[in-house]
Amino acid sequence: MDMLIAPERLELAEAVRDFLSGTHGPEVLRRLDAGPNRDPALWQGLVEMGLTGLLVPEEHGGLGMGLLDAALIARECGRVALAEPLVESAFVAVPWLVAQGDTSDLATIARGERRIAPAHRLNGAVADGEGAALDSIDPLRRLTTLPADASDDALLLDLGALMAAAQLVGLAEAMLDQAVEYSKIRTQFGQPVGGFQAIKHKLADVAVALEFARPVLWRAAQALDDGIASAAVHVSHAKVAATDAAYLAAESAIQVHGAMGYTYEVDLHFWMKRAWALGGAWGSRAFHLNRIDAAVIGGPHPIGPENTFA
Amino acid sequence: MRLGFTQSEEQFRAECADWLNAQMAGEFADIRGITTLTEKAERRKEWEQHLGAHGWSCIGWPKEWGGRGATLAEQVIFAEEYARAGVPGRVNHIGIELAGPTLLALGTEEQKRRFLPDIAAGKTIFCQGFSEPGAGSDLASVRTKARLEGNEWVVEGQKIWTSLAHISDWIFVVARSEEGSKGPKGLTFLMMEIDQPGIEIRPIKQINGDAEFNETFFDGARCPADSLIGAVGDGWRVAMTLLSFERGVSTLGQQMAFRNELDGIIAAAKANGTASDPLIRQRIARAEIGLQLMRYGAMRMLSNTDHSKVDGAALTYKIQWATWRRNLGELAMDVLGQAGEVTGSPEYEWGMLPNLFLYSRADTIYGGTNQIQRNLIAERGLGMPREPRGDA
Repeated sequence: MDMLIAPERLELAEAVRDFLSGTHGPEVLRRLDAGPNRDPALWQGLVEMGLTGLLVPEEHGGLGMGLLDAALIARECGRVALAEPLVESAFVAVPWLVAQGDTSDLATIARGERRIAPAHRLNGAVADGEGAALDSIDPLRRLTTLPADASDDALLLDLGALMAAAQLVGLAEAMLDQAVEYSKIRTQFGQPVGGFQAIKHKLADVAVALEFARPVLWRAAQALDDGIASAAVHVSHAKVAATDAAYLAAESAIQVHGAMGYTYEVDLHFWMKRAWALGGAWGSRAFHLNRIDAAVIGGPHPIGPENTFA
Repeated sequence: MRLGFTQSEEQFRAECADWLNAQMAGEFADIRGITTLTEKAERRKEWEQHLGAHGWSCIGWPKEWGGRGATLAEQVIFAEEYARAGVPGRVNHIGIELAGPTLLALGTEEQKRRFLPDIAAGKTIFCQGFSEPGAGSDLASVRTKARLEGNEWVVEGQKIWTSLAHISDWIFVVARSEEGSKGPKGLTFLMMEIDQPGIEIRPIKQINGDAEFNETFFDGARCPADSLIGAVGDGWRVAMTLLSFERGVSTLGQQMAFRNELDGIIAAAKANGTASDPLIRQRIARAEIGLQLMRYGAMRMLSNTDHSKVDGAALTYKIQWATWRRNLGELAMDVLGQAGEVTGSPEYEWGMLPNLFLYSRADTIYGGTNQIQRNLIAERGLGMPREPRGDA
């Protein structure tokens, strides 16, 4: 038993983190918000990192990596509130097409020439689809109406929920970082507000929620990759834990920022809005909690001591 | 204790409802149902004046100052019918709920004559100059300065979060009038006309894209030497008196708006099937309980006329409603699922709920954060030791 992620698997994610922190800072979010939302140059950068082909099998021109690798990178996309539709096209649609045996588009997806916007009936809309535009509370999400032929496939839902969870973890981490930094520089009553227990404890609670959301996420990614029977329950657990952590991070970060956190000029709102949007996408907390309780109470999910760490 | 309403109060209710509905169906139909304070500002000012002209602006004030001398029960009834009829919020709420009552309590006869009838008539819109970039939770650390020059105050400094300053006529300003003073001492409560060269207003954009509040800059702004409430150096006491009115009868109107929001969530849950989900059902039940306990808490708070003791209901009301509504926003999002992300589309009829969610993010911050409220409850209410502070 080993719950650590092998260092070589982390290397790519760390390279992606370096790349995104250098090319996708808050000034990019502001620029995209003021303009057309998407930037071909940013997309090209992701293509050149090989990320569009991350899950495309090598014989179709990709890197042939696994869902855990993708989840690690989706988390990085969350950390910078990436606007480009990398995660849903390359990490949700691609493994689903591979599972269907539909390989016709994989090479063009890997080259970044084609993007797939996965449409699932559980969602009320499609991100970066081709239908009529809808307004999202997130100014950098491009929502479109759900097509009539949207899928209700269970694997597609699990892939979408897993990758939303991974982004939510990254979003929560970034919001926690911003709140911690702000609490050190904002002074009231003659001291940094981070010195007050009321503030410290709020952010410590976020750290706890995040610390326990991460391993659940990795477990879900591995379970779905391995195709084990209980994978869907692990995915639901990850989506609930990640959404809880992200909502708590958003609520705490805005509170620590005070009224500044409610303004558009403090960049925090980009992360909060993405978290609120992804919390509802690919199954809300209520949906996933119901999947868990149905599995645990009289369902197929094995319980008992020998299954505690299964 | 007497619950419920008398026959004459029920008649008053019918009178309120008839009049409000007639206005909202007729001359002011274009503003019915607006949920922000910024939309159609000019029409909203006309509405203030219309209320004033018909004696419905400040019904709890004495008759001589433009009110009706209405009883508490009547004020409750009016607030309920106001919200029920879909009448938009009062753009002069600072004037009618804060400035007016403060003048009634602490103003001179001349000041009352000068301001109260015009506030009641909707002709004088007030905004509030309390917070500064460096004085938010720590309000007593204000740095805006006022010095007497001849028979005028000259003010230098900056206020922030001045809601609706851009449509206001007057601003009340807590300023440091005693050089070198610190904390709550040496502050004076001034009333200043906004339309003057020494005052500049810049809007601040909120996370929902709206711009209800502003930064207000004072650069040699002036007002007459007697344009103050209370004495020179007594501004902190005046400011605290004013803040105590923030928990007044207006809270009841607010609760009716909350009622409408919760009803909207229940309707959405029934329509999209989440009403059959036990988790959602329980949270709706919790929200209903929370609303009811706020209602009875507010009634008790308003019934209390002995202000010599610390009032537990008054001390706890802010954190209660703010936390309740923040949770209500999250419930709305969980009921809607991904549709909660979609705003302003006719085919998504729950467009108001995502907006409720965004708005409610500010509730636990303005008017004293939840953290400040807890300190007040613990220190003032429970008599616990004061939190250690830095060198302020």
